[in-house]
Amino acid sequence: MHVGWGHVALAGAWGALVSLERRAFLQAMFSRPLVAATGMGLLLGQLQTGLYLGMILELFYLGTASLGAALPENDTLAASGTTAAAAMMAAQTGGGGTPAIWSLCLLLFSGLGLFGRWVDRRMEAHAAGLSAHGLELAEHGELERAVRQNLWGIWPYALVYFALNTVCAALGLWIGTYLSHVPLVVLRGLAWAFPAMASVAAAIAARGSHARSAAAWGLLGGAVMTGAVLVMAWVDG
Amino acid sequence: MIGPGTHLPKSVELRVFLRSLLLQASWNPKGMQNLGLVYALYPALEVLYPDPERRREAVQRHLTFFNTHPYVAAAIVGGVLYHEERIAAGEEDPRRVNEFKGALMGPLAALGDGFFWLSLRPAAGALCAALVPWLGAWAAVLFLVLYNVVHLTLRAWLFRMGLQLGDRLVEAVARARLPTRGARLRAVAAASAGAAAAYLAFTFGSQQGGVGGWLLAGGCLALGALSYVLVARKVPTAVLTAMAALLAGCLGAWL
Repeated sequence: MHVGWGHVALAGAWGALVSLERRAFLQAMFSRPLVAATGMGLLLGQLQTGLYLGMILELFYLGTASLGAALPENDTLAASGTTAAAAMMAAQTGGGGTPAIWSLCLLLFSGLGLFGRWVDRRMEAHAAGLSAHGLELAEHGELERAVRQNLWGIWPYALVYFALNTVCAALGLWIGTYLSHVPLVVLRGLAWAFPAMASVAAAIAARGSHARSAAAWGLLGGAVMTGAVLVMAWVDG
Repeated sequence: MIGPGTHLPKSVELRVFLRSLLLQASWNPKGMQNLGLVYALYPALEVLYPDPERRREAVQRHLTFFNTHPYVAAAIVGGVLYHEERIAAGEEDPRRVNEFKGALMGPLAALGDGFFWLSLRPAAGALCAALVPWLGAWAAVLFLVLYNVVHLTLRAWLFRMGLQLGDRLVEAVARARLPTRGARLRAVAAASAGAAAAYLAFTFGSQQGGVGGWLLAGGCLALGALSYVLVARKVPTAVLTAMAALLAGCLGAWL
């Protein structure tokens, strides 16, 4: 598959859209890692990459929530940015997504959630200015303008997250050119890092589920699945 | 002009509901959702207060601090309309509406956080993440459908309850038994997370083949169980993930 700057821009546009949905409009969960990453993978022609990264990041961020004034890590940027980079990397190699690429991106872009939270904090300062301006305008009877200040909070988000996702995709494209130089033994190790990280993500998810007896429920789910996999393996010979 | 006993047109109510979907667009540390609330209410305030001075007062009384869960805010937005209709008709003191908001935003935020953020979303997310190997991209679609059928239905219902019942909406919300339902959903989330981990570990093990592959798969699961204990002891999740990747990576490369 030929990849170019059009794909990089597309990654930016999708990233901006889901970031807006997360914060400013509707909150119908298009911004959750499972959806944001799958959508990103689909748009960039690397659906499997989007699905598996979305799956693991959904588990990783399962228990995070914006409670009161507390800001959680930005799970949407973590999902869209990591997937954009992995999809561009996979497309650059020409071989499609592999667990080694997914692991590499999860490790390289693991700070995106925290960075996104830092960006969100900076954005709040801008919104506080809008609120103060809205009060001023209302005081002077300019009610329409006061009310519309609400919409001015949207655009900086769209622009900043467009830029951040574009950078992630471009980085993936660039790193992808060097992937063929990575020794096979390292790629094999990275491939095994993926299920290990998935297990850790699942443990974090079970803990983050806030369920009473979460460990018991997690073990039950794991045991049922293990039994099903073993039975299927036995049937298949 | 709205007189005693008359109500806002349905089209205005619909506009207010739709605009309330932008409640958090300018969330800020000082007024929090104040701009979003005024933005949502404005079409109704325009109809209720043709006199610019009274309208200005109405806008100003809603530009004060406001913060609640963005979904259950629909109940408060509906309730504010209920009170504003009465204030505009001269049946109620304007302070009444702020007392209503102040009394409900905290408890409803706790209810919304507990049910939507900490129960429904984790349950739908973990279940659909566990279904990815079977459903592919449809797992993401299923997640959106499962979540939003409940979310949008409840959001619209809460708005209607606020609009019709005003302060009495509390009784209607209590009857919905959201905390009880939330506890069940949290168990679904934990079980689905365990199932997803087991599936991934064994699938990768079987792809690898041989005894080494199965041993690594079992090792990954053991790592997950250990992580569960370590997360409880406040070990940073990023450190855990990196250590797990390093350990499995070294063993995988060696085997």
